[in-house]
Amino acid sequence: MNVAGSNPFARGVAVVLLPAVFLTVMLLAPVIRLLAEGGVGALQGTVVSLWQDDYLRWRVVWSFVQAALTCMAALALGLPVAWVLARLDFPGRTLVLRLLMLPFVVPTLVAALGVLALWGPRGLITGWLGFQLQDTPWLLLYGNLFFNLCVVVRAGVDALGQVSASRVAVARTLGATPWRAFWRVEWPAIAPWLASALCLVFLYCFAGFGLALILGGQRFATVEVEIYSLVAHELKLAEAGALAVCMMVLTGGVALAYAWIEKRLATPARADAIALRPAAGVFLWTLIALALTVLLVFCAAPLLAVLLRVVLAGSEAWAVLIDEETVHALWNTLRFSASALVMATALGLTHALAARRSVWLRASAFLPFVVSPVTVAFGLLLLYPQWTASMALLIAAYALLAYPFVAKSLGAALDSLPVHLDQVARTLGATPWRAFWRVTLLMVMPALRRGMAFAAATALGEFAVSLFLSRPEWVTLTTLIYQRLGRPGAANLDAALVLACLLMVLALAAFLVIESPLPKAGRRSATHLRHA
Amino acid sequence: MMLKRTFSFLAAATLALPLFSFSAPATAQELRVITHSSFSLPKPVLAQFEAQAGVKLSIIKAGDAGEMLNKLILTKAQPIADVVFGLDNALITRAQASGVIDPYSGAAQQRAVAGATLATGVVSVDYGFVTLNYDRAAFAKSGLALPKTLEELTLPRYRDLLVVQNPATSSPGQAFLLATVAGMGETDAFDWWARMRTNGVKVVKGWTEAYYTEFSRNGGSRPLVVSYATSPAAEVFYSKEKIMESPTGNLFLKGGVFRQVEGVALVKGGGQREAAAKFIEFMRSPATQEALQTTMWMFPAEPGVTRPEVMRHASEPASFDNPSPEAIAEKGADWVSRWTRVVLK
Repeated sequence: MNVAGSNPFARGVAVVLLPAVFLTVMLLAPVIRLLAEGGVGALQGTVVSLWQDDYLRWRVVWSFVQAALTCMAALALGLPVAWVLARLDFPGRTLVLRLLMLPFVVPTLVAALGVLALWGPRGLITGWLGFQLQDTPWLLLYGNLFFNLCVVVRAGVDALGQVSASRVAVARTLGATPWRAFWRVEWPAIAPWLASALCLVFLYCFAGFGLALILGGQRFATVEVEIYSLVAHELKLAEAGALAVCMMVLTGGVALAYAWIEKRLATPARADAIALRPAAGVFLWTLIALALTVLLVFCAAPLLAVLLRVVLAGSEAWAVLIDEETVHALWNTLRFSASALVMATALGLTHALAARRSVWLRASAFLPFVVSPVTVAFGLLLLYPQWTASMALLIAAYALLAYPFVAKSLGAALDSLPVHLDQVARTLGATPWRAFWRVTLLMVMPALRRGMAFAAATALGEFAVSLFLSRPEWVTLTTLIYQRLGRPGAANLDAALVLACLLMVLALAAFLVIESPLPKAGRRSATHLRHA
Repeated sequence: MMLKRTFSFLAAATLALPLFSFSAPATAQELRVITHSSFSLPKPVLAQFEAQAGVKLSIIKAGDAGEMLNKLILTKAQPIADVVFGLDNALITRAQASGVIDPYSGAAQQRAVAGATLATGVVSVDYGFVTLNYDRAAFAKSGLALPKTLEELTLPRYRDLLVVQNPATSSPGQAFLLATVAGMGETDAFDWWARMRTNGVKVVKGWTEAYYTEFSRNGGSRPLVVSYATSPAAEVFYSKEKIMESPTGNLFLKGGVFRQVEGVALVKGGGQREAAAKFIEFMRSPATQEALQTTMWMFPAEPGVTRPEVMRHASEPASFDNPSPEAIAEKGADWVSRWTRVVLK
């Protein structure tokens, strides 16, 4: 047994080292470097003057309001859907769970085109309704839900899956109505999981990546847009830095609050999952139909609109699939995402393990979402000019944006892990490493896989990576789509949409592999062995 | 089982990592070219250059032209490229003032250009015009006459028809703002923008958003968009069926046309001077000048270069309105923040 294995403290340090070094090198150091370039002395005065600027204050308030509204709507819609998916068994349930994450992968512009094909001035639904939603906050909220509903639903499904069946049964035996049993037994068990998902949704909406911005126009632009133009176009680093620090404090507060709530609510669960109820009877089928309708309206419809357009575009448009450039981009997408996924898994796993006892470490898993991406990108450029346009940096940037999903998903799972299993293993003579490998990891595996699926989705969808230096030979499917949409012409639009469909198929395949169910044959042989 | 499978997948992926060759081996003869994200030349043309010059091109895309310049300024102490393509007349003065480029005086610099010369020591490569495009079908359908002046766009009958890009985040958006300032004078220009705000001008982040989500040709509702004079030709080039007339047209209005001239220059402190010079000459070679017209959709700076047939759909305006490069360098940023106050705040 080595030293790190015998000493819990040394073990803790060893585990925390990887994420700590990575975050410092890839995130904290660059941001500090950029702030230093802007001049720290100017920071304070700028902060005050910024807050006195009505326009900027309105942007901060607006960023907050729309993010909070989205969280509420996502919870109200997502929890019932999650309940249906977690409790009722119906044909295609697993496929729905995998499909759920596709909105995450689609390039924002393609998603916007899909949304507008339905709700825009010449959209299908607009035709029936007689009015259009473009330029209204409603479309913006819709866009936010399109991307974020899946986060809440997936978290809800997994949370409900670890609610102890016997506790619910006891409550029911003691006379609790199903409703009361839900509130008093199930809700406390799932609340931490939902809290972490909502925190993520909040940070995503707050940072204002993509869709909402396209649909809402510049009037609804979030603060991140302001920081971007200050840094990238005006090179006013002091003002940008001040703004970025303000936002970091605000969003960092949200992340800390979440970490505190999650740690407080953490209760070890029991490993007796509630069995799925086969769907039978009008009532249950109505529930399923309602849940699927919500998903169809908010998540699937824009994608179906894109698909419809691709089908109608005809075989000439599909010819882009056999382009030499497309094949090259496909290969790049695969290898970049795979590398990023490996890195993100290692980082997420170590971060989640290290953060079990510390609120600060827990909150720090959200740092990649709290810090403005453009400050990171320019900070990296300043700090490591010799690394720029190196592939290692690119992959690290992908991993940086992907790994919070793994850490977050695992964090909740580790909290609800029954302690005694690990203790039993240790009592029976297992080393800490062996107990972790054979017991803990096995128990949190579903959560790890869920986190990995989201991480893969982020890597495939390439949020904010366009801010980093790139090379033509690194073209990925997403960059190819944006290149096509950077030029006029119907053929370019069709080609972009065909490529987006290819990306979705690829992502779906990745989700199916990452979260593939246990092969039945394998399970049977394991049982067989035990009986033998 | 599940555990094993996931981890064997991860292990396989980890082992495969070195195969992905994270950093290309740095060969002695590598020319680093930094450029904006719209840079595009056919692979054979670039390959031919590499063969002739005996260097390997390492092309770095650094966002749009403005972002690229700022990245060059920030890395001045340790330059990340040897040669830069894509600095234009709106940025060149600032680029020179911040000391990120070295003058070049080779053959290409001496030759006459179509379009315009950039600052001394910078070789013009191509030029184009930022201007209004209109959707022919939409105007035919509504029966509305095309506006004859920018002033007319503030009239109620042209309400909610125009989409522009935010000059704070987009190069064509900034170019259009510059044209309005040069064409109408600063005071009148911002007065016009204020009235356009009342008349429902829509502002989006960049060209793609404007063209593909707001322009009526592509599912939006607005038949007027800020784009390029070559866009109607690109519409024909990338049409699905063979068409004789472009579905969009150029609308050249006083104060609504900006001439953009793009150039190639040496990066101060960069290496590979001989290869860099060859690259600059290459950007003005007939093959490049002909190819760039339908890959980057700009007009060639080299006079007498063959124009592809499709470029006849790209009309050139008789006049345009550019502020002087010095005025842009001095006041450009102020105009953008004033624009933000007038149109967005």
